[in-house]
This record gives sequence, structure tokens and C-alpha cells, in this order.
Amino acid sequence: MADLAQIRRSTGAALCLECGKCSTMCPLAEIADFSAARVMSMQDPEAELHGHADAIQRCLTCAACEERCPQGVRYTDFVRSLRPELPAKVRDPSPHGEVFQIAATPRNGHSTDWDWLEADDGLCVAQEGEVALFVGCLPLFDAYFGPQLEVETVEIARAAIRLLNRLGIEPVLIHEECCCGHDLLWRGDTDAFETLAKHNLAAFEARGIQHILTVCAECCRTWRTDYPEFSGAYQPRVEHLSEFLAARLDRDELSFRWSSNGAVTYQDPCRLGRQLGVFDPPRELLRAVPGSELTEMKRSGRDALCCGTAGFIRCDAASRQLQTERLASAAATGASKLLTACPKCLIHFHCAQQEDHRRQRQPVAIEVEDLTVFLSGALEDPGPPTTVEPPGAQQGGDPS
Amino acid sequence: MSAVANVSRAASYSLADTSLVVPEIQSEPLPIRLVQPAPCTQACPAGINVKAYVSLIAESRYDEALAVIRQRCPLPGICGRVCPAPCELVCERRAVDAPVAIRALKRFVADYETEAPEPPSPFRKKAEESVAVVGSGPAGLTAAYDLALAGYRVTVYESENHPGGMLRHGITAYRLPRKILDREIETLCRAQIEIRTGCRIGVDLDLEELLERGYDAALLAVGAQLGRHLGVEGEEKCAGVEDALAFLGRVNNGDRTPPGSRIVVIGGGSTAVEAARSALRLGAQSVDILYRRYREELLADPEEIAAAEAEGIAFRFLVTPARVITDGSQLQGLECVRVGLGEPDSSGRRRPIEIPGSQFMVEADRVLTAVGQEVDLDFLPAEFQPRLLDKGLLSTDSTTLMTSWHGVFAAGDAVSGPATVIDAIAQGHRAADAISRFLIHGRSLRAEDLREPCMPVEYELPDTSPIEAMRAEPKLRALKPGREFTEVEGRLSESEVVAEARRCLRCGPCAECRICAPSCRRRHLMIQRSGNNGGQRNGEGVLLRTPGTIALSLSSKQPTRGRLLPEIRPRNLLEIGPQEGEPIEILPVRARIHKALCRGCALCADVCPFDAITMVMDEDSPEHARIEAALCRGCNLCAGICPTGAAIPTALSPEWWNSKLDDCFDGELIAEESDQPYVVLACQRRVGAAGAALYSKGSRVEVIRFRCVGQLQVGMLLDLQRRGASGVLVTGCQNERCRFGRGARLAADQIEITRTILPLLGVDPDYVQVDWSSERRTDPIDRVIDNRVLTDRVLTESSRETWQI
Repeated sequence: MADLAQIRRSTGAALCLECGKCSTMCPLAEIADFSAARVMSMQDPEAELHGHADAIQRCLTCAACEERCPQGVRYTDFVRSLRPELPAKVRDPSPHGEVFQIAATPRNGHSTDWDWLEADDGLCVAQEGEVALFVGCLPLFDAYFGPQLEVETVEIARAAIRLLNRLGIEPVLIHEECCCGHDLLWRGDTDAFETLAKHNLAAFEARGIQHILTVCAECCRTWRTDYPEFSGAYQPRVEHLSEFLAARLDRDELSFRWSSNGAVTYQDPCRLGRQLGVFDPPRELLRAVPGSELTEMKRSGRDALCCGTAGFIRCDAASRQLQTERLASAAATGASKLLTACPKCLIHFHCAQQEDHRRQRQPVAIEVEDLTVFLSGALEDPGPPTTVEPPGAQQGGDPS
Repeated sequence: MSAVANVSRAASYSLADTSLVVPEIQSEPLPIRLVQPAPCTQACPAGINVKAYVSLIAESRYDEALAVIRQRCPLPGICGRVCPAPCELVCERRAVDAPVAIRALKRFVADYETEAPEPPSPFRKKAEESVAVVGSGPAGLTAAYDLALAGYRVTVYESENHPGGMLRHGITAYRLPRKILDREIETLCRAQIEIRTGCRIGVDLDLEELLERGYDAALLAVGAQLGRHLGVEGEEKCAGVEDALAFLGRVNNGDRTPPGSRIVVIGGGSTAVEAARSALRLGAQSVDILYRRYREELLADPEEIAAAEAEGIAFRFLVTPARVITDGSQLQGLECVRVGLGEPDSSGRRRPIEIPGSQFMVEADRVLTAVGQEVDLDFLPAEFQPRLLDKGLLSTDSTTLMTSWHGVFAAGDAVSGPATVIDAIAQGHRAADAISRFLIHGRSLRAEDLREPCMPVEYELPDTSPIEAMRAEPKLRALKPGREFTEVEGRLSESEVVAEARRCLRCGPCAECRICAPSCRRRHLMIQRSGNNGGQRNGEGVLLRTPGTIALSLSSKQPTRGRLLPEIRPRNLLEIGPQEGEPIEILPVRARIHKALCRGCALCADVCPFDAITMVMDEDSPEHARIEAALCRGCNLCAGICPTGAAIPTALSPEWWNSKLDDCFDGELIAEESDQPYVVLACQRRVGAAGAALYSKGSRVEVIRFRCVGQLQVGMLLDLQRRGASGVLVTGCQNERCRFGRGARLAADQIEITRTILPLLGVDPDYVQVDWSSERRTDPIDRVIDNRVLTDRVLTESSRETWQI
């Protein structure tokens, strides 16, 4: 048993005043019997951990509570530190038969299948260079969810390369890469996570990568926040693609054609938003797409609501309710598209919509799309620089 | 395929097998009850476990056989004599030569019992409630017996001086000796049943008065004892025309007055034949039975008809009486008319149509009419008659058997019209069940309570018949003066009975006679109480195969206690369980839902082959799946499809998979390179696992059995790969042979996904092999896998044929 007192101190849980402000923000506390403060009030882990097992596993780790905490308690870290301590007996199985945790476990062979890349011969990747794209589990999600949900996650990776190519960048793809280990870390399999982290760090360091781009909010958080513990002197720069692209907007390196989407809205992934503080870059990118107007949901930015599940750790009735609520509030903005910067949000929203469809309930009428794919679709046509004029401009009349 | 070839194949197998050690059979608990029983057992209206008692008789275990019969038939000696034996009509042995003489077997064991058995003890604590049963015929007595065993105080009211109803008054002693009847009723009454004879409801005691005596429910099993009239001219005024039932009643009460010399009986049911044979025994010179249809449409039992004809009774078909001819009050005969057959009527039989001008005269000094029976309504207060009656019979709810009078039930001939003894017993069981539920739940039986969600099963008959003997027919005694009313049908000898029982092909699954349970010295059985009947039935449960070893005797010369002969498929056997002396374990044979993890996606409800899963909402929890225990058959398809891990597989703890993996990998987290097992994930029906020998390439083979491979998940396959299995074979029944309908299809989906994922992990997609077998493999194949010694042999001989019995 790790030292609970140490965990409480290091995560700030010891400072908890039991004021209950966390619960006013907690999406679970609204719909279920869940209280963060109650877990933090635990004194004797030997005796009490068992009783709190459900709350510890249930927490979405969306970090909404941390936004309100007057004492600055890092509750998500607190919960994450407790999870490895849970006895196997009280651990609930993870969704989808734990397939993502099992697939993430390091194996002897790592020769990833890169067929998806060859499917689009217009994409250029480099063998050497400083900038690498971390693909992560996108092909795995494709294989697993492809037959059930209409999601093509690997298209996110292709879209990312397409966008980078437009900027004149040919990213390096590291064939030895493994899953970043986010799900293992947050489920409490710290040993397996450490192995993965070291494997990935070694693979990227060996290729001399200094700048790592991800298209997944969870990968980004893991590489930027959780890997440095194991990386020693190797400290590459880690960015979500949206940050990297947004920075290029100012330099006029990237421009988008008019697209007739009308209003779109944006889901802040918990890992990217609250946990890494990346709120603006995706929005800047969306504003840069002519013809698309960004409208915000009732809860957005720091107040954003989680998509219902983090890291395929737990999925239950509350997850479904959160997904339904979130989709409804997205539709309420009048937007035609809900964009997200995390493939897992994408999968979860698609799942909820497909479920409604299957059960012959009216699905919330909004299209859910990945931000990267959306941006790639809005790229100006390459080749001769003939800008497509927006219809409004044509109507305004061209003097020539 | 000749019988000789088959025998030699089996023999060569058992020779080859002598060197084998007893194999480990890895098997999860398997409720055998999930499949439909043998055809004979299905056919019995009373639900007697026919296959079980026939099997026990084949081993000369007569007492146990009788105990099995008594589980569902409190009157074995009577049924053994007068039952029309619907079981024999469906007996698979008919395809070989003739059906097993099941009724004669039953009679033998009933007669074999010399001392009255121990009085049965109620299996439920004494209940407060009491029940009145009106009528002591087979329906009333059966219901009274069941209710007494369920702990109720039961009083039976009988208008006659001796109990038995139609058994006593409608069936004559030459078919059913009185001492057998008396003994059986006496034995039955030892279950604490009070019978009040000579108490006629409606005369000595009003029905209302009876119910006011504090009975909580009443069962009207009064029978249908009034003969219908012919409805022809001259019938009423003539003393020579008599109701055959009334005549039989007199005869069976000891009246031996000769009825006359020329007797004519009208009708084609068993009452007609019974009356005709009785009249012959009382000295009639000639007895004719007139029937208005064809021979094929006679309702009486064919054996009875044959016996009657052998005794000299003449049947005249397509004849119907038109007028009674009298000379004053003296009967002269009947004017009859020939009929032809027209369009089928509501019963599906063709309607007789009189042929004009075909009148002729049949001389008779006595006419007995047996053209239908009605309920004697005297017992009913006049004001209730319109409420309770429908076409001369008592009207009840077809499911609950309750009349429109709350708490008053009806069963037997009074409801159904004249029927057989076994039908009456069946009705008695149903009535007792309905009354018991009424008294416990305050509501009566619902249609869904009667639903039998058994899966049909295809079974294989042995290629050779175990015994080539012909059916043993009981001998019939010739009619001799002075012995007219002694029993006609002879008894089979003990050796004949055993030989006859051995003719049984033992089709279908384990008979679940449960005789093995108390006597199992090694406690190798598990009994599971089915969840929802509140223990209303004694010993209700399912035999489970349990993990462990089975000492399978394959030598045909050594029939063991379980009679494990090679011709019996191993799946019919009882398997086996924990250590000696351990108590019988009770496990639920159904999947469960972990409510906290259920997201309410209803995928499980969509996939459930038994409609056992419904989506419900509680006060304290949002919409979630619920598994109806009574309907769940434990196929675990829900566990396979569940995305959140909320559906927990049958009889298994959530750690089941890990414990299986530990077995496979000898407790190692990751298998050592030198000892990587090849893992077979197989359908519990032991299908097709022989393929493992072709793929395992010398690895140690481990088999994990699923109730159905439809339970498979991608994670399981990847988990095996992660832990170092050298390869995986998934094997199960082809889609159309899956007993759960869609197991193979669901498993194929998961395998397809796994095969697309494997390359992403740097593994060849062929790592997972599939073998959908169209045939049911039997144990020797498993031995091949379990016993590495033989693996190479299979590869060299390569013909799987060799390894099938």
C-alpha cells in the first residue's frame, strides 16, 4: 500500500476543506451518487479504500472539479494515484472486454501495419527530420470500431499529414511507436505504462525527433505531462496539431477555402482543455475557416462537459446520459457540426448516436467530426492558386 | 453402413484406448435440462421421465425406476395397465423395428413392489391453507397428492362408497384388477390425504356449504359420468336401452346379472369397447359394436379393440341407429341406417351422412349406448350453472384452470370431456400447480409460467441397436368360464422386462432422473434449483457437469453404475465434481447484469436468443438490462456482446477468464518461450477440437470451453496472444447448428475484428484459426487433444473418421 498521507499531500487532497464546490462542477455529482470530497475525507486506506472503490473508478477524471476548488486540490491526480492501490477483487472490468488495455500492453514485436498510409498516395512523410507525428491507436480504433460505428479514425492521421504537407512539412512516422499508455496509466497499471513510455521515448529519441505532434488529446497530455518523468535528458517539444497549426495562421502559411458549414461548435476534450490549457488554438483555426461560424455550447472552455468516458476505463448509464446531454446542448447552438480534437470523444458521441438510432429513438441531429479532418477538408485546393470566392462575394459584384 | 462395420470400429477404438490414462475434461458446469428431453418423455402428458425409468429398468433397478415414475404419476400400476401410452407412439425404436413396450415395463415395476413404499413426506413445511377436492378420480387424486406433498391439508369428497371415480366405475376388473386399484389408492393416501366417501356434494353437502367450512380453494374434478342419449325415436320409453356407463358402473359394483343374449353397443370409444367386453363376460351370446365412422377413427385404444375382436366382438362400421323398435315395452331391435362420410367437421373427421333408403334392422334384446359423456350437474347450485358451464362441461380459464368462481378450480373429464387416465393425471398436476400458485401468490398461473423454454436438440441414434431383440408383447389370457373378470393381459417376466428395456435407444440428452444424486459416493454432481419456483417442486433442478475427472469406462463389458456404455454419447453422462465429501454446490445457471456498469445500450437484449433480457428502469437506477432468471438459458451471448462489462457470464465469477488463463499458462504471467501453449477455445458441445492437432505444431494444447463461442470477445483473443499462447483455435458449431442460433456468427465477427487488429500489433492474422464444424465431435477427439501421446497419431492417420465412435 502506497502511503496515503503522501498521496494526499502531493496531490493537495490534504488541503480539502470539504466545502463541496467540486460537486457543483462535477458532471457525475449532478446525475449520480458521487462525491469527490467524500473520497478525499478518507483517513484509513486499508479499511476505507474498498468502500470507495466504486467512486474511485467512476471518476471521469475530467478535472472540472479542479476549476472550482478554492484550495487547488488536484483531484484527478489524487484519484489516479489511488487506482493502482485498488485490489483486483474490487476492480470493475473495463469496457470493450479491456481490448484497448490489452492491445496497449507492450509486446515483443511492434511492426505496426502502415497500410492506411499507403491508401492515399498524395501523402508525404519523411524518414528523417525533427518533426514527428505520433499516430497512436488510430488504426486500432479503426479496426475495432469500424465495423460497428461509422467512424474512420485513421483518416484523422491522414488529414494531419495532409495539413502538414500543405505547410511544407513532411512529418516523420516512427514505425516502432506503441500506444502512449494513457489508458493503462489512468486505470492504474503503472508498471505497464512505464514500459510503454520508455519504449516510445527510446524510439523517438533514437530517431532524433525534437518536435512531436499528436492528433489525440490524450496522447498529447500523456506525452507532455506524464512522459517527462521517464525521459531524462530527452525533452522533445510536444504539441497537439491544433496548437502547431494555429501558430502558423498568424504567419499566413495556412489558409482555408470557404466552406458552407454555417455554424459549428467545438467540444473541449478534458485532456486538451482543462488539463493542458489548450482552449484557444482550435477555436482560432475554426474561425479561420471562412463560411464556418463558431458558436459555443452552454458549457464550454473551462466549464466544458466531458464526453462521458475517459480512456475506456468505465462506461455506464452516466456516460450515456452525459453523451446525450452534450449532443443535445451542441444541437441547441444551432450548429450543424460538433467538432472535437480527441478521437475518443468522436467515438463516444458516435456510439451514443448510433445507439439511439438502433433503439429507434430520435438521434440528436448533429454531425460529429474530428477537428483535424474538418480542417483538412477545408484546405484550399492545391495547385494553381485560384481561390474559390464565397458566393456572398460574388453577389457583391466584382468590379472587374 | 453395415452394423458389423460400426461395431468393429467401436471395438478397435476401445482397444486402442486401453493405453490411455483417464483424461482431464475441462468443462464448465453444464445444465443438461436446457435441451428438450427424449421424445417419450416429451410425449407423456403427465411429464413422467420415461427415458429415466426405462434406463433404470434396463439395469434391474426397479425400485428406483418406480420412484422416478412416482415423481409424476402417483398411480403407476393403473397407468401400467390402462394408459394408451403416447410415449410408445413416438418411440424412436419404431424406426428400427417396433417401439419399446413402455407401458408393460411400467406395469412390471409397479407390480414388482411387494411392500408399500415409505409414505412420502411433504417437501414444504405444513401450510396453513387447506384445499377441498371434489371427486376421487385420477385427476382429483393426483391433484390431492401434489397438494398434500406441497404441505396443504387436503380433503377429497367422493359420492360413491369407494374412491377411484372412473377408474373404479368405468374400467372393468379384467383390465384393472380391484386389488391393484385399492392398493394404489391406499398408497397414494399415505401422503396425508383424507378421503370422505359417500358424501355427495349437492345432496349431503352443498358446494357453498363446503367452501364455508374454511377451505381456501376447491378443485372440482367430478368427471363426466352421464351418458348422452342417442336422440332417436323410441329411446326413452324402452327399458332395454341403457347408458353403457351406468351398465359398467353396475357391473363394477359387483352386479353380475346377465344383460341378455343379443347385445348391441353404440359408439366407438373405450367405454363402448369396455361395455361390450363386459357384456360378453356376463354371458351374452353375441355382442356387436355399431360405429358410424371407419375403423381408423375408433377412439378406443387399438390394443383394446384387437383384444375385443379376439374375444369375438363384431364391429360394424358406417352404421347409425335411426329408431328403437319395441314390442310394447320389450326391445326388439334397432332400425339402423348406413352412412357415408362427407366433409370434415370441426374435429377434422369426416361427418357421417345418412344414405337415404338404406335402413335395415338389427335385432337386439339389449342396447348399450356410449355416444358421449356429460357432467352430472346435480352438485352445482342451480344459480351457478349458467356461470360455470359451457356446452355441458365446466368452463375454466384455459391457463389458470380457475372457474369464474374465485378460488374454485376445475380439472379432469368435467372440463375436457372424456379422456384418458394419463390426461386426467396431467390435469391433476396442472390443477395442483395452479392452486399452489394461487395460494402462495394470491394470483393464479400465468401463461408465461407454463412456458417451456427448452431448446430442441438434435440427437444421434446409435448406428447399431444395442440389442437386436424383438418387442416383447404381454400375453393375453383367453376368456374362460368362471374367470371372466380376472385380468386379461399377462405380465412380462423379469428377464423379458430387462431385455425389453435394453431395446431402448436412449435417444436425447441425459434423462436427469436424479437417482444418481443421493447415491453418488464421490459427490460428483451438482444440483441447481431453478430460481423462480420458490421450491414448490421437490428436487427441481438441473444436473451439472462440473470440472474434474471422469472415469470413462469404454469397455462395453463393464457397464458401470452410470451405465457408461460406448453407445451412449458422453454428453449424456453425468459428470462430476469436486472432492469426495464436499457438499453439493448450487450455482445459478444464468447470466447476471452488474447494474452499476450497465449503460442501457440494449445490445444484450437484441442478441438474447431466449428473450430473457428486458430493459427496465428502477426508482434508483436509470434504464438498464434485467435478465429474467426463468428464461435465461445461460448461453452467455450477452456477455460476449456487452460493451461495458456489465453482463456477467453464467455460473462464473468475473475472475473466470483469469483462472482459465492461469490454467493454460501454469500461472505464469507471460508464458516462457519453451512452453507456449496452443489454446483451443471451444464450444462446450465438444465440437471440432480435433483441428488443434493440425495447427498446434507440437505445442502443448490447452482447451478452454465456452457454453457457446458466441461469448468470445476480441480482448480474450488478444489476451491469449499477449500472454504468449503459440496460437489460438476457435472452434464451434456451424451457424445453422448452433443451439443458441447465432453463436457462430457473433464469434466470427469478433474473430474478424481480431484479425484486422493483429497486424497492428505485429502478429500474423493467421494466429487465430477457426474451425466451424458441421459435425458433433465426440470425446475421443478431446482425448486426442488432452493426451499429447495421440496427437502425432492423428496427424499420421489424419482421417478423423477413425476417431469417431
